Parts: sequence; C-alpha cells; structure tokens
Amino acid sequence: MKTLAILALTTSLAASAASNLTMGKADMKSAGQLAFSPAGILFVGDPKGGSIYALDTDDAEAMPGADIDIKGANEKMAALLGTTADQILINDVAVNPVSHKVYFSVSRGKGQDATPLLLKLDASGKFQEIALDKVKHSKADIPNVPSAEGRQGATKRMEAITDLAFVDGKVWVAGLSNEEFASTLRSIPFPFTSDIKATNVEIFHGAHGRFETNSPVRTFVSYKIAGKPHLLAAYTCTPLVKFPIDGLQPGQKVMGTTIAELGAGNRPMDMIVYTKGGADYILMNNSSRGVMKLATAKIDSYPGITAKTDITGVPYETLGQFKGVEQLDLYDKTRAIMLVRGEGGSLDLKTIALP
Amino acid sequence: MKPLILAIATAALLHASEIRMEQVGGKDIFRLTKVSGNGDFSVFVVQPHNPELDAQPMLGSTERHLTDLVFVPRFPLTPGIQLRAVWKPVSGKPITALFSLPKASIAPSTSVQQIFPTSNRLPENQLKLYIHFSAPMSKGDIYKHLRLLNAKGEEVKLAFLELDEELWDREGRRITLLFDPGRIKRGVLPLSEIGPALIPGDSYKLVIDAAWQDAQGRPLTGSFEKRFTVVPADRTSPDVSAWKLTASKSGVTLDFNEPLDQALLDRMILLRDASDREIPGAVKIDREETRWHFTPSSQFLAGDYRIEVDTALEDLAGNKIGKLFDVDVFDKIDTTLRTPKITLPFNIK
Repeated sequence: MKTLAILALTTSLAASAASNLTMGKADMKSAGQLAFSPAGILFVGDPKGGSIYALDTDDAEAMPGADIDIKGANEKMAALLGTTADQILINDVAVNPVSHKVYFSVSRGKGQDATPLLLKLDASGKFQEIALDKVKHSKADIPNVPSAEGRQGATKRMEAITDLAFVDGKVWVAGLSNEEFASTLRSIPFPFTSDIKATNVEIFHGAHGRFETNSPVRTFVSYKIAGKPHLLAAYTCTPLVKFPIDGLQPGQKVMGTTIAELGAGNRPMDMIVYTKGGADYILMNNSSRGVMKLATAKIDSYPGITAKTDITGVPYETLGQFKGVEQLDLYDKTRAIMLVRGEGGSLDLKTIALP
Repeated sequence: MKPLILAIATAALLHASEIRMEQVGGKDIFRLTKVSGNGDFSVFVVQPHNPELDAQPMLGSTERHLTDLVFVPRFPLTPGIQLRAVWKPVSGKPITALFSLPKASIAPSTSVQQIFPTSNRLPENQLKLYIHFSAPMSKGDIYKHLRLLNAKGEEVKLAFLELDEELWDREGRRITLLFDPGRIKRGVLPLSEIGPALIPGDSYKLVIDAAWQDAQGRPLTGSFEKRFTVVPADRTSPDVSAWKLTASKSGVTLDFNEPLDQALLDRMILLRDASDREIPGAVKIDREETRWHFTPSSQFLAGDYRIEVDTALEDLAGNKIGKLFDVDVFDKIDTTLRTPKITLPFNIK
C-alpha cells in the first residue's frame, strides 16, 4: 500500500484522461495490495488471478481530507456486506492522493471462493462499494506466474503479492511464491500495453558482509536520494535494504545496501515517506515492534551494515503511542491514516498527525 | 447502497403491513407487505460483538411488487447471523422485524491429509512445510492454530514466518509454512538474537489444532501432529551427479541422495523426446521425497530422450541446484549457477 512518496504534484494529469483504460467489468479473482498513482489511478493486486488492475474510480476531484475516527470499521464494512466482522478480511488500505478518499480491498468470506471487493469511505463517513462490473480499467498479467492450467503440480503454485507501488510511470510488484523461495520484484510500465514487458530483478543484500541472499521483499517504499528514486525494502528476514531504481535492470543481479536490522519475530507491514520541518522521514508499522520512525537523512548517509558488531544500523525511534497498527498509509501532507486493532478484535480507522 | 426513498402508490390498506423473509428462486429476500406512502426499507446485520453499532444497511436492491416492497440482498446471507429489517415511513410508525438465521451444520468432516516433507528427520535449516487438507480451508489467523513444541512440551515461539498473505494454493487445500528465514540465514539479527528455531539432535512436534476452520466454517475432525528429529544443517546444493537414473519402456525413475522439495519435484522435472516434444505422463514421488518416478501416458518407444530439471528445484533447506540458500561470500565468490535447466539424457532400446 503506498501512496507514493514521490508526491510529484502531477495531479493536473486528470485520472480520467489516463490512457488505455476501457469501460467494462474488472473481473478480479482476489483483491489484495493497493497503490495509487499521483493522478489517482488505483492499482489493485490480484494474486489469485495473477494480475494487476488499474482502475479509474472517477474520483479525481481534489478535496481536502477531513479527520477520520471510525470505531469498528471492520464491523461497519461487514454490516454493509451483509455479514459479520469475522467473515471479512481487510487486505489493504490506501488513500487517493487527489480526493483524499480512503480505499479498502476486502474479501467477503474466508475460503478461496471469497468475493473480492473494493470499498471507499465517502465524505459523510459511510462505506461505499466500488462497482467493479462497470469501471474504466486495464489489466496486466504478472509474467511468469503459471496459470491454473498445465502439467501436474502446476495448479498449486501461486504467488502472493506482498507489496505494490507506483513509481515514476511504473508499477512495482513484490511477489512471494508458495513454493520456491525467491525474491521477485517486477516493474510493469503504465499505461499497460498488450505486450507487457515486466522486468524481473534479483536483489541481493549482504548480511554483515558475509552472507548474501535473495530473500523475499515484504514491503517497500520509494523515496529520493539526491534527486534519484530509490527503493527502501523491508525483507522477510528483517533487514532494511536500499537500492537505486535505475540500477534495477532486467537480468541483472543487484546488490542492495543493508541499512538496518529490525530484529527477531517482527514483520514490517507498511511504510510511508513524508516531509516534516524540511526533513524526510519514513514511518513503518510492524507486527510486534510497534511503529518506527526513521530519518531518511540518516539512511542516505549510512554506509551500510558490513560488520557483525554493527548490527542495529540506522537508528530508529519506536513510537510508543501507536499500538496494534495493522494498516498505515499517508493521508495528506500532515496526516497518516491507520487501521488499529482495538479491544474485542474491533478495527478502528483514524487519521493521526504525522509524528 | 443509499437508503431508498421510494414513492409508492397508495395501496388499499386492508391489513397492516408486515415484514417477512422468503425464499424466491433460491435467494433469501425480505418482503414488506401492503406498503403505503414513502419511506425507507433497509435490512441491517446485527454485529454479535457490537449489537449497538450504528451500522449501515446491507447492500441490495429494492423492487416494488404490486403493493409490496421486496429487498434482495446483494450477497447470499451468512448462516447464523441476526438481521433487523426496518421500514421507516415518512409518516407513520416504523416497522421492525428481527430474524435469526439457522447456523450451518458444524459436523466436522475436513482433516489434515499430509504434511511434506514426510521424513521425520529434518535439517536444522529446514525451510518449508506443506500442509495438505482434505477440503478447502478458511484464510486468516491461521498461525494461531499452529504450535511447534520441543521434547519438553514447551512451545518454540516465533518459529514460522507469519505472513498476512497466507501462502495458500488456489483451492485453499494446501498451505505453505515457512520457517522464519531470519532464524535460518546466517548473519542476520534474529538468528544471533534468539537463535535457531530448530536445534540438531532435539525432537519436536508440530501440532495443528482442531479449531482451524474449513471454508464452511467447520472445525477439523481432530488435531494433527507431526513429530520429527532435527539433524545438522544442509548447506550443500542438490548434487545432480549423485542422482541415479533408471529408465525402461514403462517409466523413468530418479533416485536422489537426499529428500527434495515435494511441490517443486512435482512440476520442475519434465521429459522430452529427440524432437523436443514434452512427453505427457504422471509423476509419483515417494520414499520420503527421495524418489521421482514418471509413467508416460503411453510406453516409451525406442530412442533418445532427456530429462530436464529446472535448477530452481530445492532441497529441504531451500538450496537450489547450483545456488545455495545463503551464500558465504568468503568461501565462494560466486556460486550462482545461471543455467536454468540441467539435462539428463537417456536411451530406450
């Protein structure tokens, strides 16, 4: 989930004018990770269908976002969908950077036949379903994801989409197979064309200069160092790694720089980049280590972890005021939106001032 | 859906209005009878943990059938839920009706069929477990149903990588469980902080509790245990030169010198004839994933054939052919093999 940091204010490019989107049914098999382009095009990861959808949700009117504080957001969504909160899964949350409306990818049901849905929180604080049977959209099949057809054994392979971002005209997709253990980071140029040329890159990171690995990327965000876009990726085995985007070329082995280690038993979940007081920061929510704040200036100047004695890397601050944050996205220049697990399993949606 | 304000022709009110639930064409619908005047007809789901919630009405469409209003829910109703249907006329008294739907059968019928690897000796750096179920399962919160216990019966905490995107197959009948790679990879923080999850020489059991629900919301028929003993780490790639190939007209067998990843074995080895055509047939994997056997759909004819092995094939520790799970760059500068396939030729007389 990432409303991209490279908030190049290209909103003049009206979302509806985006090319190659045709009106019709967006027949997604699942709705997972979400990302917006700066112009408000919504990208939806469909891991079951092995595709990425680009949608124009006709929501390109620039609006300031009001503060949000909705208790029991999961119960409210469930009620709208005619069921109880234990029968839905909220897969991702993302904010349209133009309209500041909050979007959700939701599964109604928990089996593989669950109905994929997109919901939007409207200005009156009500959830609305985004009609997928009549929407301007285009689809890119993720290359190298085997279809359900084929030889024995091929039907069981699926690739989870662990994160999605739109950076400088390309959709970046981090995937994790349920079989072979490998990192696949792909970039797909947007607008999607019929002959998609996705780039698969292998990114290695060293661990203390000795062992290198191409473990899967869990979540990532883009930000600029000296005007050049970089990706900052959190890996499943916990290092935070940075690498320049222009170094990611097809078939090349890219060595990222490990800049921090986040520790055992922790899963980084979402990252956002923001500017405050003239400095850039990264905010990251984690499964067990709370919400962390890192200054990008420290990331840029950090030489990388190369020795075992230097195990913690870039210093980060753990913000004790935020607990149980399951989803995080940038809301606007001064606020973030969070989905927070409260008592009794209720999920509360709220905006917070960027720390 | 927006609340519906409908203009209804004045109906002759012979009897009072009422709200009924009916089945029409296999769908549950809500019927408000003998409506007069304008108003809002909505159906709400009562949230069991928050019955006072100011909920939005459920999505659906409302149609007028003569003097009745019929609400058709957008989705099939979930068994066991409570519903409140409300008619709020612009003038006059509202009508509310409560409905409790019967719960679905909870008689369990789904079970754990198999866990791969089938061996009860796993390396310290074992990477994956595949759990197969007899029927599709529910997603979400799966990790609370899994516990790894050591020989003393103590739980090994944080043994598995808990991914929100659970690694199910398309049918929801197989889940892939990754041991936390941070506790396997050498030189990353978790391994030095809390050590490996598995210790060589020790015995463990993986316990799957019966409360894990299948796709119908029913628990499993029973809990399931897999016991295993841990042997030293495997830090070598699968060695194709140590495989034994036996071929006859009725089939081809590869005997490996170690167990390999069952899911990858199932699809990463294929056969071609001299004209490059892929030979159709069935794969069988047995002897604790140390043997791969291929039976062609029709017997091999005399001639040259070859087996193609994808080098992404992994052993139990995630070492691929020619590419280790974690590469010690002090030992070997580049052990990355760039060949996507390895070819094993054979001849049928």
